[in-house]
Amino acid sequence: MRGWRWLQLPALLCGALVMACDRVAPEPTSRAIAAQPWDSVLAQARGSTVTWRMWRGDPSINAFIDQWVAPRLLERFGITLEVVPGQGPGMVNLLVTEREAGARGSSDLLWINGATFASLRREDLLLGPWADRLPNARYIDTASVIIARDFEQDPGGYESPWGQVEYALIYDSARVPDPPRSVAELGAWIDAHPGRFTHDQSFSGMTFLKILMYALGGGVERFQGGFDSTAYAAGRDSVLGWVTRHRAGFWRLGATYPAGVAELHRLFANGEIDFSMSNNENEVISKVRQGILPATARPLLLRDGMLANAHYLGIPVNARNPAGAMVVADFLLSPEAQLEKLRPEVWADGSVLDVSRLPEPWRGRFAAQARDPHALSPDSLRRYARPEVDPEYHERLTDDWRRTIRANTPR
Amino acid sequence: MIRRGAGLAAFLVATPVLIGIAYSALASVGLLGPGSTGFSTASWASAFDDPQLLRGLGWSLWVASAATALATMAAVVVAALFRPGTRSSGVARLLAVMPLPLSHLAAGVLGVLVLGQSGLLARGAFMAGWIDQPAAMPALIYDQWGIGLIVVLAWKEFPFLALIAFSLLADRGRALEEAARTLGARGRAVFWAVTWPVLWRGLMPAVVAVFAFVAGTYEATVLLAPSDPLALPLLTMERYTDVGVAKRGEAHVLVLIGLVVGIGAVALHEAARARDRRAT
Repeated sequence: MRGWRWLQLPALLCGALVMACDRVAPEPTSRAIAAQPWDSVLAQARGSTVTWRMWRGDPSINAFIDQWVAPRLLERFGITLEVVPGQGPGMVNLLVTEREAGARGSSDLLWINGATFASLRREDLLLGPWADRLPNARYIDTASVIIARDFEQDPGGYESPWGQVEYALIYDSARVPDPPRSVAELGAWIDAHPGRFTHDQSFSGMTFLKILMYALGGGVERFQGGFDSTAYAAGRDSVLGWVTRHRAGFWRLGATYPAGVAELHRLFANGEIDFSMSNNENEVISKVRQGILPATARPLLLRDGMLANAHYLGIPVNARNPAGAMVVADFLLSPEAQLEKLRPEVWADGSVLDVSRLPEPWRGRFAAQARDPHALSPDSLRRYARPEVDPEYHERLTDDWRRTIRANTPR
Repeated sequence: MIRRGAGLAAFLVATPVLIGIAYSALASVGLLGPGSTGFSTASWASAFDDPQLLRGLGWSLWVASAATALATMAAVVVAALFRPGTRSSGVARLLAVMPLPLSHLAAGVLGVLVLGQSGLLARGAFMAGWIDQPAAMPALIYDQWGIGLIVVLAWKEFPFLALIAFSLLADRGRALEEAARTLGARGRAVFWAVTWPVLWRGLMPAVVAVFAFVAGTYEATVLLAPSDPLALPLLTMERYTDVGVAKRGEAHVLVLIGLVVGIGAVALHEAARARDRRAT
């Protein structure tokens, strides 16, 4: 009897948790807000607080949000912006846990794309459709496949685009005056300069492997149209084969890899390696201006093609202030905010607007927007931009790289 | 009455922990959490099927053992050598506890800045002419043996143990040492017969706590550990934040394994203590 008593508490807790499993999230009345006239959305948003969950890892992005966006939202719409940190997979975890606990939402707006969007849609955790109703949505460059499809998924009004970027390598023009310009040249360069190249283990590093997969596996077309296991197997084998062939020339003989892109930048800035990389072709420009990367650091595209993608804003299904979130998303789509964000000294994040749809004076202002002399030309960016494919490619390639390359260090 | 109060206190302390364990247990079999699809033992199977698990677990146990042993030795030596009284020993004791308020993240960053191949140590060795270029410095971080991580964790945990060691000697040690000296014992004999047993018995619970903490610590590990073997806390976090939500169940399996490590350390300590009580 005495021993049985000890079991009571765990049994009670398990029971409570199992009951929580079956708990259904309350049907959000917030769905109705998405269907209201814009004026009443604005009226409801006035005087409210919007909690925006986003990646807070870049000081220039933080400065744009905190010092430029937030004061304007307060002044024009009476919205107080509260920014809280969070990243893709973590947001999915948080929202599922909130739903299980039947808790009120802790965020109104989410910065998402790709696999996070897929997971949130699969779990039915996003509010929508609302994005097409934003007044500034009429300026979006809907002809661009990069913006109109998020990793081949139709946003369907469940997320609103607010920026686009293209993957680029980063090199130091003082140390590497004649950098490799294709995957084949990069392989030869690595062999000739042992210990001076690596990639990280996080999202950026895995995206680099996906670029190799396109280049070595016959182009992005082979992987388009949903996940195909045969195409994947062939693509994976060619990438992992390439890595194995050149591994001895990697930093630390390819026995260890930096955890994230921040560590990769640090190794590059300290001269331990000669290349870094970034999801945003302009990150090198803003990091040079901030003094984080050497003044001679430059972006580099490989001729085999790079990856371009857009990033979006979503509203969680348990948001407390969906009206406020919609107003913030609309403001971020405005020509004014898109132009400010594009400036190299601010963030240099690509605009998602079709400039030809804009009224004057915005069309002229976009045309006159000064570019950094070291930035890549729009022509090259367009020529080498390849769209993202089904998120499962990224998932599977990450898993296979971890098991077959990372966990098998040649000693 | 007292028993009831103690029971309530134990209940309050245990509840959050038990909820966490119950949640992880249910999530590991697909009943809860992101990616859950109904009862399944697939997460357990795939976690144990992955050779990274055992190697990561073994590596974390090695780092935790080495860092805890180093920190304990340092705490014992400092507490035994620098007794209160003189000004120099006061300064030494103050220096010893300096890392205490530092966060583990800050300690990790400091580790990178000092021990990295472009760090202060490498630059110093280069300027002194011991190595041809800073990059020729032996790898102390992201290294296979976790040397840099062990050093940083030992340095970070040692003040905690040193503080306890100081108070143990001040409370019980001094009187016993004086008694031993009165009975004719000399320097080294006093240390081995009195100081060491007092420190050892008193420090053990704290040493176990340090071991369990270090085995599961994330912040310094992510900054200093290699990617192969991948330390257990890093493997756990990687599964928990994987792009595919299907991996969340495995993360909970790893959490439970980490828990077993901590409980195992406490159980070993309790067993040793019981044997010790029987022997004396």
